[in-house]
Amino acid sequence: MSWSRAKKRSLALGLAFLAPNILGFLSFTLFPLVFSLILAFTNWDLRLHNIFRQETLRFAGFENFSRLLTERDFWKYLGNTAFLMMGIPFGIAGSLITAILLSRDLRGGSRRIWVYLVAVVLLVLGTGALLLAGAGATGMTILIAGLVGLILMGGTLGGSTVYRTLFYLPHFTAGVATFILWKKLYNPHTGPINNALRPLLQSFGSVIQATPPGVLRGIAWACLVGMAMLVLTALRRLSRAWRDGEAGRLSVVLGGALLLAPAALATRWAPWSEGGLALAGAAGAMTVLALAAAIVRKREFRCRHDEGLGFALMFCGVLMIAQFALLGLSRVAAALPAMAANPDGMTPPEWITSYYWAKPAIMIMGFWGAIGSNNMLLYLAGLSNVPQDLYEAASIDGASPMQRFWNVTWPQLAPVTFFIVVMSVIGGLQGGFEMARTMTQGGPAGATTTLSYFVYTQGFETGRLGYASGIAWTLFLLVFLVTLFNWKFGNKYVND
Amino acid sequence: MRHQHSAGVFVHRLAGAGVFHVVLTLLGLALVLPFVWMLLTSFKPLEEVNLENWIPTRWLPGNYAEVFETKGLQFGRWYWNSIFIASCVTFLQVFTSSLAAFSFSRLNWPGRNKVFLLYLATMMLPGLVMMIPNYQVMIELGLVDSYVGLVLPASFSAFGTFLLRQFMLTIPSSLDEAAEIDGAGKWRLYWDIILPLCRPGLITLTIFTFIGSYQSFFWPLVMLKSLHRYTLPIGLLFFDSSQGQQTNLLMAAVTMSVAPMIVVFVVLQKYLVKGIQLGAVKG
Repeated sequence: MSWSRAKKRSLALGLAFLAPNILGFLSFTLFPLVFSLILAFTNWDLRLHNIFRQETLRFAGFENFSRLLTERDFWKYLGNTAFLMMGIPFGIAGSLITAILLSRDLRGGSRRIWVYLVAVVLLVLGTGALLLAGAGATGMTILIAGLVGLILMGGTLGGSTVYRTLFYLPHFTAGVATFILWKKLYNPHTGPINNALRPLLQSFGSVIQATPPGVLRGIAWACLVGMAMLVLTALRRLSRAWRDGEAGRLSVVLGGALLLAPAALATRWAPWSEGGLALAGAAGAMTVLALAAAIVRKREFRCRHDEGLGFALMFCGVLMIAQFALLGLSRVAAALPAMAANPDGMTPPEWITSYYWAKPAIMIMGFWGAIGSNNMLLYLAGLSNVPQDLYEAASIDGASPMQRFWNVTWPQLAPVTFFIVVMSVIGGLQGGFEMARTMTQGGPAGATTTLSYFVYTQGFETGRLGYASGIAWTLFLLVFLVTLFNWKFGNKYVND
Repeated sequence: MRHQHSAGVFVHRLAGAGVFHVVLTLLGLALVLPFVWMLLTSFKPLEEVNLENWIPTRWLPGNYAEVFETKGLQFGRWYWNSIFIASCVTFLQVFTSSLAAFSFSRLNWPGRNKVFLLYLATMMLPGLVMMIPNYQVMIELGLVDSYVGLVLPASFSAFGTFLLRQFMLTIPSSLDEAAEIDGAGKWRLYWDIILPLCRPGLITLTIFTFIGSYQSFFWPLVMLKSLHRYTLPIGLLFFDSSQGQQTNLLMAAVTMSVAPMIVVFVVLQKYLVKGIQLGAVKG
């Protein structure tokens, strides 16, 4: 291979500029990458291989992986990770709604500003005066009023930029400091959240006790019926897609499995075993019927098995989460009479110290940070790129705001949504470490241990570096497969 | 007739905007309340921290000074460590990234695109995979529990290179030719022409890197062993686990560690928002 002098020169020059960076890249990224892949197939353990004790390192083949897959904890932590990821759609919906609210031009003519300004200044001055006068217990009300006044003043004067700044703060500052803050907020006995909930729940408890138990049972059952309705509607939509050749066999089966998952899980909870079984049975029967009907009708259509997989999974996934929400509501409604009958009245949840509330608590905290996140900014940018004449055309056709959203905004934002979903799923699979380490230590009883925290405890607390590498690579494989899947099937859905 | 109509429209719009403002304000209130509680609690005397009333009956700004003097903590030192380490990382990372970005965007050398593709590919990998071998390397090099061990791995970033390359590609290449005709070498081109022109990109990367390093948790957590070398996140974690019942002081510490970020964000948000919307995602 004989290169011209000029070519050699350009290579040398290019590498010279690259050198400081690529040295670091090679030693702290590429080398560790290869090293960790090798590590994953060894029994490297800091308790066996350290300066005091030098046992021979053994090449372990797929031992780490087979052990991982047979370990019950691994599946539990995978489940925890998936559970926490169910908060993602809520966060995305929240940031989309916020972005839509913010995308309006909120600054107006001068007259309008003065009206707000006078009201707000009066509010703030009054609050300040009362605070200085030492207004004691009413202080809280005044504080809230003062805050509302301040934010409103900022918003009317500065328009959406002020709100945007405010909304973005929880996300921007998210880290150990804010997690410690939330740990204090969630304290079941002394935290402000339960301090605020306690009186509310006391009065709610008396309302519950005054309500005939039949009503609550009715609500609980209504939620289950709602679940069934969701399943049936979704199955109808799926079978229509099948009939029209928009969804292949694989898509329908996987989508149906997602739809039935909540009902199947419900059967594991003793109090609802009958209801859950009935539901699962009904839904199962419906699936079989729908599939049979579709097969009979579909003969003339031919489409690939995985046709429309992205659509089917996204649609069914969101409905699955809605079903879980209904299921949770139903269980709470069923449990309410017993809770209200407690001699101390109704007590607020124990949040991060309770096995059942720890994950929802972390999801609520995540939602707090997710509303005004990067996603909101991306949606804002996306919204400003939607051609205005599409809205005008829709208005001329007499479309309602909802119709305008579903027919113009949502399809136009599809690429942004796709990007956000991909990034959120990647982040979600690897997430949860910081919360687990600062707030719960992965507990109670492993309820908040995610896969990334599992890697940490195995690798850095126990010292099993080989095993931890195995977990990390398994996690990577998972991320890779999900992302590949998203690209393969989601991209098509976006471009359609 | 026309006048009447426009008055109606005005009232309608006023009400419409009013509704929007009220909704946004309430949302903003909900999001900001945790911070308000944090701030108010940091001024409380210890015996009031668990009370339902958020407002202190006695205001103690002295809590902030007390955090620095609390026995068993070295808060001032941690503050300094965090800022020092974040500054070093930021300087090194922006410098090496801009050099590499220059090489990837302005110089034409054989194999350039393949190497760049390799960079891009590693951006997809979870950082977690690299942590374990890097830790092993740090043990071998004796760099565990040292600043060098914290700064060095964080000073090279594929992401920063990618971001700056995107910025540099928007600068017209006719400038390069003009510089060459004037007899400027590649270094002059980089230093005198390209760098000043991609200032917004440099600022964006500076903020990202600084905040990322200031907030970084996993790596310092496994690397740092001695108290006086802790960074703020590790220090706060230690504070919470050793003296967490002193909620007022803890909240003062949390406030002080969040405050620089709020200032950075409010002052420089123009660059940040632009950087994020370019497809660059924090962390």
